[in-house]
Amino acid sequence: MPSGSEATRRAGGVLRLAALLAGAGLLLSFPALAPNPYILSAGITVLNYAVLSTAWSLVGGFTGYISLGHGALLGLGAYGTGLLITKAGLPSFVALAAAAAIVALLAVPVGFAALRVRGASFVIVSIALVLILLLVFQSWASFTGGSRGLVVPRPFPDLTRPEHHRVFFFLFAGLLAAALATWWAIDRSRFGLGLRAIREDEDKAQALGTPTFAFKLAVFVVSAAFTALGGGLYALWFGDLDPVFQFSVLTGAYMVLMALLGGVRHLFGPLLGALIVGWALEWFKLQYGDTPLHLVATGLLLGVVVMFMPDGVIPALSGLLARFRPGEASIREVTAAELPASQARGPRA
Amino acid sequence: MRSLETVELTKSFGGVTAVDAATVAFQDGKVNALIGPNGSGKTTFFNCVTGMIRPDSGRASYRGQDITGKAPHRITRAGIGRSFQLCRVFPRMTVLDNLLVAVRAGGLKAQLTSARDRAEIARARGWLERMGIDHLERAEARNLSWGQQKLLELAGVMMGDPETILLDEPAGGVNPALLERIAGLVRQLNQEGRTFVIVEHNMDLVMGLSDHIVVFDRGRPIAEGPPSAIKSDPRVLEAYLGV
Repeated sequence: MPSGSEATRRAGGVLRLAALLAGAGLLLSFPALAPNPYILSAGITVLNYAVLSTAWSLVGGFTGYISLGHGALLGLGAYGTGLLITKAGLPSFVALAAAAAIVALLAVPVGFAALRVRGASFVIVSIALVLILLLVFQSWASFTGGSRGLVVPRPFPDLTRPEHHRVFFFLFAGLLAAALATWWAIDRSRFGLGLRAIREDEDKAQALGTPTFAFKLAVFVVSAAFTALGGGLYALWFGDLDPVFQFSVLTGAYMVLMALLGGVRHLFGPLLGALIVGWALEWFKLQYGDTPLHLVATGLLLGVVVMFMPDGVIPALSGLLARFRPGEASIREVTAAELPASQARGPRA
Repeated sequence: MRSLETVELTKSFGGVTAVDAATVAFQDGKVNALIGPNGSGKTTFFNCVTGMIRPDSGRASYRGQDITGKAPHRITRAGIGRSFQLCRVFPRMTVLDNLLVAVRAGGLKAQLTSARDRAEIARARGWLERMGIDHLERAEARNLSWGQQKLLELAGVMMGDPETILLDEPAGGVNPALLERIAGLVRQLNQEGRTFVIVEHNMDLVMGLSDHIVVFDRGRPIAEGPPSAIKSDPRVLEAYLGV
């Protein structure tokens, strides 16, 4: 039955598609519009953040398991790619795919151990993972290069620096599209509904028949694979790895901040968060150089988000917009008088 | 047929033995009640047989199949549904999604198909209608009243199509009219062939609704039988009143 609300919904769908295409068009024209290679490389950094925060939100957003340990998966992806090229002699992009596959495999035992504990315990276990790997990669200098770093050969040695940036901008955009498509596909599936039920009440989800542990582990592996791809692609782009930056609790914290700021319940929440935080980080570095001011700002922002916008910017803004729309009917309470009437409808299941 | 049974089921927390070698058999196709004073181990017993807690020793079986220590979702899939003592729903999900979570889907392919399957939505609406909360299907569960949440929880349990339903204090915090409706629903569902095990403190409800009563005291059954026998059992009076 075609109705007014159906027409509105269809119009909303067309609008959303138009906005999506416009957004994608704007994104893809960025390399052409960027005035200099520095701005372009800042754009790549922001895209990389968007990949990472979207990958993070597959676990943190859907299940509510706040991982500060995604820095470990990122570092493993980056070093895995670099080492597979330099030590095993694999072609760059084969190494990238292989590293992501290895990290996804490693995520099985890691998730098996970490996802058994909930809440604060999970957060602490995830941080421990980053710190352990940092120590390993720093100390095992003969293999990883230690604090001297690991130089990753460029995949396209013939390209000039601006051309190199341009190619990687599109590669990161492609990876982001894949991460967003995965998020979207999970969100609409039964698997996604089960994951959201875990976030709301894990015991209850289990009591309703959701195999919660298998679900958490599966989504953790998918999230790990995307995080590793983000790290590996960064290694190919940047070409120089240092354990301190690759295995950093701070990177994990950035992913959390971006995802929470944008809103983990929305497909584009983590992307929006990455745009804001990524841009702000670059701005602080430009304005104040090598001071810890950007960390202070990050901390303040996280505090503000958690206190005033626990669901992120997108729901806060749409909530604000909704105030100007005509109000919907409020939820009706069932009165005692109505009870026998509805009960008399009899069985119909 | 044999229904839910336990043999010497035991669970301790520190020095407190909450369930103490409890051997219980519930009757298939009947409304069973599990009563007893506060702290007599009823909820712990429920949690042990539904896999939420692993018992220290003893066995639980359902229709002859061993379910001791199995994961909760496996026990649910074996045909046992349960509600929680303080009603639990998914607060930030819509009423309809609350039910769709309980859809049983096996295999990767089924899990990756859309959660909003037309046939399942129709089935969910059937249960919401039966509970009298179908007008709320798009509301977030947290916006429902306590009574509506109780009905939603029951609808969610029913969505899993359990043969046996364990209800933990269905009358807790519920007004008399709603209580009457819940009792009516239990009766109807039982007539359709579903077995109930109900933990409840409201004695009028228990006596009026159940066919078979098991009385717990200090973690083990001290009496069982039809309501008429339980009412006059001196051991039950002693446990409850200390006389």
